[in-house]
Amino acid sequence: MRPLSLGIGLVLLSVFGMPNTLSAEVSGEAIFQQRCSACHSTGSDRLVGPGLADVTSRRDPAWLKRFIMAPDQVLASGDSIATALFQEYGVAMPNLGTTDAEADALIAFLGAAAATGGERTQPKTIAVATAEQILLGQDLFQGTKRLTNGGPTCNSCHEVTNDAVIGGGVLARELTTVFSRLGGPGVRAILGSPPFPVMQRAYQARPLTDPEVAALVGFLQQADADHALHQPRDYGVKLFGSGVIGALLLLALYSLLWRGRSRGAVHQAIYDRQISST
Amino acid sequence: MDVRSQISMVFHLDKCIGCHTCSIACKNIWTDRKGAEYMWWNNVETKPGTGYPGKWENQEIYKGGWVKKGDGIELKGAGKAKGLSNIFHNPHLPSIDDYYEPFTYKYLDLVESPAGDDQPTARPISMITGEPMDIKMGPNWDDDLSGSPDYARNDPNLEKLTPAEREAMFQLERMAFFYLPRICNHCLNPGCVASCPSGAIYKRGEDGIVLIDQSVCRGWRMCVTACPYKKTYYNWSTGKSEKCILCYPRIEAGHAPACMHSCVGRIRYLGVLLYDADQIQSAASADDADVMHRQMGMILDPRDPAVIAAAKANGVADSTIDAAQRSPVYQFVKEWKLALPLHPEFRTLPMLFYVPPLLPVMASVKEVDNSAQAEKMNATAKYWPDSWLYDTTTKAMFGTIDDARFPLQYMANLFSAGDTKEVADRLKKLMAVRLHRRQVTVGDVKPETVAEALADTGLTPQTADDIYYLTSLARFDDRFVIPAAHREQAIEMMEFTGDVKGNTGFGFKSGTAQRGA
Repeated sequence: MRPLSLGIGLVLLSVFGMPNTLSAEVSGEAIFQQRCSACHSTGSDRLVGPGLADVTSRRDPAWLKRFIMAPDQVLASGDSIATALFQEYGVAMPNLGTTDAEADALIAFLGAAAATGGERTQPKTIAVATAEQILLGQDLFQGTKRLTNGGPTCNSCHEVTNDAVIGGGVLARELTTVFSRLGGPGVRAILGSPPFPVMQRAYQARPLTDPEVAALVGFLQQADADHALHQPRDYGVKLFGSGVIGALLLLALYSLLWRGRSRGAVHQAIYDRQISST
Repeated sequence: MDVRSQISMVFHLDKCIGCHTCSIACKNIWTDRKGAEYMWWNNVETKPGTGYPGKWENQEIYKGGWVKKGDGIELKGAGKAKGLSNIFHNPHLPSIDDYYEPFTYKYLDLVESPAGDDQPTARPISMITGEPMDIKMGPNWDDDLSGSPDYARNDPNLEKLTPAEREAMFQLERMAFFYLPRICNHCLNPGCVASCPSGAIYKRGEDGIVLIDQSVCRGWRMCVTACPYKKTYYNWSTGKSEKCILCYPRIEAGHAPACMHSCVGRIRYLGVLLYDADQIQSAASADDADVMHRQMGMILDPRDPAVIAAAKANGVADSTIDAAQRSPVYQFVKEWKLALPLHPEFRTLPMLFYVPPLLPVMASVKEVDNSAQAEKMNATAKYWPDSWLYDTTTKAMFGTIDDARFPLQYMANLFSAGDTKEVADRLKKLMAVRLHRRQVTVGDVKPETVAEALADTGLTPQTADDIYYLTSLARFDDRFVIPAAHREQAIEMMEFTGDVKGNTGFGFKSGTAQRGA
């Protein structure tokens, strides 16, 4: 009896107890790789956002935690540091839904990384995309070629001003000048591991492959560089209006084609006279 | 001559008491299922009345049947071009309100309601939605509301009647009605078969029963429009159309169809007719007045050696030819010329024939001078200030056909495309048989009168006795002469029965059940 319950207790401890006893640093690093590394390095290099080498000593810990958890609210509250950062970098940090425990883990990881002077998350340098890659990127963006892992095509949410792209989505940011806004490493990092909650969810089980990322980055770079030359026609209200008129025309045609159709029951007049109990 | 066999029916309307037992027998066996609640493959209508579905005889509403076009005919509301252009929206389908919304009652409320001041009631519940509903219509509404302005006076068959005739029909003293049981007519030129875009409907070669293959039907519902009798129905649950199958599993086993077997008044007769299929096209394309005669002309004499030889050459079994020779339908339709098809002007060549009803003719109405009587009435007395006499005491015992309470034209609109002579001939024969039998059993009719009546209708006393026998005394096997189906031969056309010879158990279509453990 006693050895058995002891055994069960051990098993339970190993299942439920272990994750709590693991050091915060390991999960902190994982979270950083997943959510932060697209825009931040642990060194002093500036990617999309600032390098985070000594951020734990630079900022007040309470402010830092608040900012990691809800940067949009901090910025909206008119916080001076957040406003200055926004003005300097031109991009507001998205709210990534980081929980209290995760924020603690991240701060612990950043503190440890500063202590060891880690430059581990430096992104690789990017080779210039070939013409084939740009063409492939264009196809992938529009969905004329399917993404290998079955992720949704870019233009279901994003729009790029480019003659080759017709009718991009308006659910997410317009990406014509994304390359100059975020830079090659930033774009590449975002595509590799999206930091934005919706995008993260969309590509969680269907990540982009490396060649696809390279192709898309190449296409976006090209689109950014050439966007002044591309001015696809914007049909706007006219497109919507012609849809409405077309639908009305079709309805008119149908009512003409089936003008002899039977309407209502043959005894409708009798039914109409009958008294309803409800 | 392309001789084929057709299982055909005669309904003797004089004997129908309108009990709806046939409808219930059919419903219990075939249509007591989800999606089929509203279907009555067999229904009994009260005439005059609008019928089920409402005003089904008015093809300007439902576009059923065939219409003459040039030398030939075409479907009124379906067919190749019309069918294709309406394939995704068939504009002339009857709606559920044209039939009726099937209902039941919440009977459990009667026994499960808590004690209270009021009697619990069983509310009507729709069998389609399951929600409480107001009953607007039923499958035999004319039976309940016959004579009301809404139903009886909207009978499409009244159209060709003069306003005076129409008015006379609905005078209280002259009011009459009769019952019209209807099933699928298993037509020789079926509109449903011609209209089906999927090719799911077929007329069986061996006995002419028209069936819808449920595995081929795609629910286009062109047959619902094309059938002028509205005897194909769409099952909203299975998404396929269904119709009367003439209880073919029973027929193949030698039993009468359920509606006929259960008939209380024994009005139904079933037997084989041999007909010439080469004439179908020309008969169906004949002029309106001729269609009925041409259809009768297609039915061949099963005792004619040439017909028998042609039938045998066509693969008609000897047992079927024998059944055709004993067929009560042949006697009623061809030999005695007593029965007529329903609405032959729809040109589908229906193979269900009706003996028109004599009963409403029994009494006649005379114009008399009631003024002396009227003067005796005081101001509060209730009387009708007209000059009609409802007379049942005519000298000739049965009155005359022309004084019938039902205008002959009404019957003619139903049974002979408006030809009153055809209906009058048949009614006279029925009356002659009655006079003859009255003389035999009671003896109060003058022999000269009877002889005159028989001679006038071309009947002999022997034929009159035969008609009397088949009408009143006929036993089960006289009324239903069902040929052997020869399933043992039919199955060999499709599969080799030797494959299962020596195997255990019964059944060769589906595998035998594994019995025991």
